[in-house]
Amino acid sequence: MITALEVTFGLIALAGAVSAALIRDSYGKLVSLGILVAGVLPFIVDRGYLDVAIAVSLIAPIATIFVLLAVRREER
Amino acid sequence: MIALYVVAAIAVFAALRAIIEKNTGRKLPYANVLNFAVAGALVLLLDHPLSLVAAATYFVGSTLEANAIASTYAGGGKR
Amino acid sequence: MNAVFALGLAILVVGVLSVAFVRPKTYIARLINLEIPGWGLLLIMLAYDEALALLTFVAVTAIGTFVIVRLMEWRDASC
Repeated sequence: MITALEVTFGLIALAGAVSAALIRDSYGKLVSLGILVAGVLPFIVDRGYLDVAIAVSLIAPIATIFVLLAVRREER
Repeated sequence: MIALYVVAAIAVFAALRAIIEKNTGRKLPYANVLNFAVAGALVLLLDHPLSLVAAATYFVGSTLEANAIASTYAGGGKR
Repeated sequence: MNAVFALGLAILVVGVLSVAFVRPKTYIARLINLEIPGWGLLLIMLAYDEALALLTFVAVTAIGTFVIVRLMEWRDASC
């Protein structure tokens, strides 16, 4: 990959991880987790593992929906 | 090659705006913009026939995730 | 040390510290923070070129999250 793009997506992933660690709201944490996944996925595609990229992009929303079940039960 | 830089700039702007925003309801549109920008970057990044399938899968999955968060935040699915 | 390995190590350290010193001390916040070092470990496995390990790790992480969510529901219903 080009170095500028590598720095860009690395910065997005690191910002998502730090903000998911620091934000106190549950929905804000889940949005930051989505930003982290969006920063990690171009590195997987760039190494050539397209089957891993397909599996990750199918399984990451399912894990988020599982966590949303617990969040909805908690705030009720 | 210039399209990749434009998409990366849009992704950085949307990520920073989604993190800085205080209100959760205003975070979600910027998260959607970030997801669309990354789905565009995945196509432009590698010349392979399966790359289109990966980008389409990420597009569908990330839209489903953002809509699930928005629906639960708005109080949908209440029994 | 290439860029993927360094980025994975940084995300792993941030995620482990956030799980250990979680601020709202609830089960939900700790479960959401537990997903951060998983992605860091995924990037470290990506730097070592192990495709089967990547696929298995992603699937087992999702199943583990589902088991922990069901355990939390069962614990809240019983007491």
